Amino acid sequence: MAKATFPYVAISLPPNQAYPQGATVFRPVTFATLTATNGQSIRCTVLPDSGADACLFPLSLAILLKLDVLNSPKALTGGVGSQANLTYYDTITIDLGAGISFSAYAGFTQGMDPIGLGLLGQAGFFEKRRVEFLHAKKVFTIESNWP
Amino acid sequence: MPTTIADLSNLLKGIPSGAWVAISERQQKAIAFGVDAQAVLNEAREKGEELPLMVRVPDQQTAMFL
Repeated sequence: MAKATFPYVAISLPPNQAYPQGATVFRPVTFATLTATNGQSIRCTVLPDSGADACLFPLSLAILLKLDVLNSPKALTGGVGSQANLTYYDTITIDLGAGISFSAYAGFTQGMDPIGLGLLGQAGFFEKRRVEFLHAKKVFTIESNWP
Repeated sequence: MPTTIADLSNLLKGIPSGAWVAISERQQKAIAFGVDAQAVLNEAREKGEELPLMVRVPDQQTAMFL
């Protein structure tokens, strides 16, 4: 059983009408190596999101992984402010480091491209892990093979 | 490959909103950026970073997400 603690990451947000000075937010994100069955790997940012049914990534990352998206299983995905996002699925390995690595049937959609990071959702991630967020300390822990 | 990056704010400073960025975790700095993720990755690899961290700079339309 592996257990690892990750720091929240500071991210600057640009000014807008609601936040004229911009803002710095601390998000429980970390960095992962995604590896496709074709052997291609990339590094990207991931966010544990218990509200996501599955692991979901920007379509651009599928291109970088050289996935054959046109021949991949497809489904529509919805989220805040968007719906019917065509999503292509493939099985990939997601390695967070510190001994936490797993295989997931993950989706890739253009709807995630503006955000540019991946969501670690229930299927493949939360179903086998315990995740604890300690916002006051700006850290979160992931315990694998749980329960 | 565990990383020690805990602050993307400084690493992304001065890079246009919405850009894809390749970050060298070894050098702790951005080494390529642009609108096309594949072009950014290619440039990073030409500079010797085979597996850079690919991130995207938040823009006004996606700054806050729920």
